[in-house]
Amino acid sequence: MVLLELKDLCMNFGKLQVCSDLNMVVNKGEIHSLIGPNGAGKTTVFNVITGNYRATGGKVIFKGKDITRLPPHKIAQLGIVRSFQHTYLFQSSSVLDNVLMGCHMSSRAGAWREFLHTPLARQKDREARAEALEIINFMGLNAQKDNLAGSLPHGHQRALGVSIALAGQPDLILMDEPITGMNPTETLEMVERIRNIRDRGITVVLVEHSMKVVMGISDLITVLNFGHKIAEGKPDDIKKNPEVIEAYLGKEDQ
Amino acid sequence: MSRLKIIGLIVLGLILLTLPLFVSSYMTQIAVTTITYAMLGLVFSLGIRVGLPRLDMAAWWGIGGYTTALLMKMGLSFWLTVIIGGFISVVLGAILFSLALPRGMIAFFTFGMVLSMAIYQLFGSVPLFGGWGGTTGVPFPTLFSFVFDSQTKIYYLGLFFLGLAVCVYYLCYHSRIGRAWDSINSSIKLARSVGVDVVKYRLANVLIGNFFLAVAGSYFVGYYRAAIPSIFSFNAGVSTVVYLFIGGFGHSLIGPVIGAIIATFIPEYLRFAQTMQTVLASVVVILILLFLPSGFLGIIDEKLLPWLKIHKWFVRLNNWSLGRTGNSEMEGTLRK
Repeated sequence: MVLLELKDLCMNFGKLQVCSDLNMVVNKGEIHSLIGPNGAGKTTVFNVITGNYRATGGKVIFKGKDITRLPPHKIAQLGIVRSFQHTYLFQSSSVLDNVLMGCHMSSRAGAWREFLHTPLARQKDREARAEALEIINFMGLNAQKDNLAGSLPHGHQRALGVSIALAGQPDLILMDEPITGMNPTETLEMVERIRNIRDRGITVVLVEHSMKVVMGISDLITVLNFGHKIAEGKPDDIKKNPEVIEAYLGKEDQ
Repeated sequence: MSRLKIIGLIVLGLILLTLPLFVSSYMTQIAVTTITYAMLGLVFSLGIRVGLPRLDMAAWWGIGGYTTALLMKMGLSFWLTVIIGGFISVVLGAILFSLALPRGMIAFFTFGMVLSMAIYQLFGSVPLFGGWGGTTGVPFPTLFSFVFDSQTKIYYLGLFFLGLAVCVYYLCYHSRIGRAWDSINSSIKLARSVGVDVVKYRLANVLIGNFFLAVAGSYFVGYYRAAIPSIFSFNAGVSTVVYLFIGGFGHSLIGPVIGAIIATFIPEYLRFAQTMQTVLASVVVILILLFLPSGFLGIIDEKLLPWLKIHKWFVRLNNWSLGRTGNSEMEGTLRK
């Protein structure tokens, strides 16, 4: 089943064309990786999908609905949440509070009820707390839950970034280089968690540089180069694809 | 909110409640001004918590003030004029800010500044408002047959309004609304990505602020029994920012109150300096910015309590009141 579809997506910054006529289909329940050399336009694609950039051409269709022109918070409310390449966290809040802030969408009880702390609002609050603790546990941050986000080591900050995204109860999670900068142990843990996230029924779109990880984890891979799609397929096909090898390693005769 | 803060609040509350018993009526009069400024400071500090520096405060303060002055002279009850003033300022704010807020913080900031200056001019030049001399001869506020005709009575009326504002903000802050505000304050980009409608939540914050600004204006006119443009000038808005620096940014709810108390009382004692008062105030602010970046309350947290060696004791009390056991000293230290 198709969850997300990009149709002839274009993104220009002035004369610079970062992404041109990109077509891509993400199926429900898969881990779909987006790879390519530096500057291939991967993060730009994420920014367009989440509404941070407005596409200059083409369409983004999510669950059959055109979301190209929606603002970021509306897109998040429809079920697409991202984790950022640079660690964006609520730096001066505790880990638990970070994830609670991520629960914004699921803890809604209506403004007046929230203001007056009615039983419903308090129940929603308790539920959000329970869910936040569950996510923290799931991401292995239990021991850090009262620490300030800004004081965590890099690996944990990354995990927290993903936790905040998960707290939004998304159908689709976009992960921008979740493993970059991690040591081998942390990487193994994160890879396992990404699989677990998929097994929870959340579709994952992944941007990652580590080929080993991408090849091991992905159900489908799309390869970008200079904003164009040059290949798409299962990990084994991508490995053998001459165009991909050329994009990454350069032409043999050069 | 830590238990230490609650203890602090109770002590502050007791001091505020019994103040008129201990000080002269002249000091009570100053306290009344302080309460008004504390309300402005409160609104400003809450605006800052969603990343919006409010330089438009004097405008809404003035709208509340003039509404009360004009309507009370026409014979309306004080309480009704408070509500009408608040309503006008919220509705007008909703219209103007729903245009300015989507353009971001700088637009809001500039817009507010211009608005404040424009409304000040308007009060001075439109005959309806009584010109630069203002609207005078406003009757005493009443509640049924009770007349607020002394400084002390007016003081308690102000405490009621200030308490109301603190309660409303407290309720907001300790709910999902407050978490959304905090997330905007911390990272707008991340807040958007978890589904927070930044414009909507900022608008809510600003409009709640508008209501209490108007209430503060009405209250001040109830005490002063006149509305004069110079009270609601742009400068008046800027002064509150100064109070906030002195009180401490980290403590949204009581910081402005403390700041206003210090900043109102000290200049009164510096009367001898007369014209140099503003200059001295600027020097104080610069010194505070340099040496007390977290304000007056900050120094109590960071310096005074450890120096008195009672910090540990507070931590223990804190742990005990939370039903904790064991040695978790870090947990008791105040969070900024």
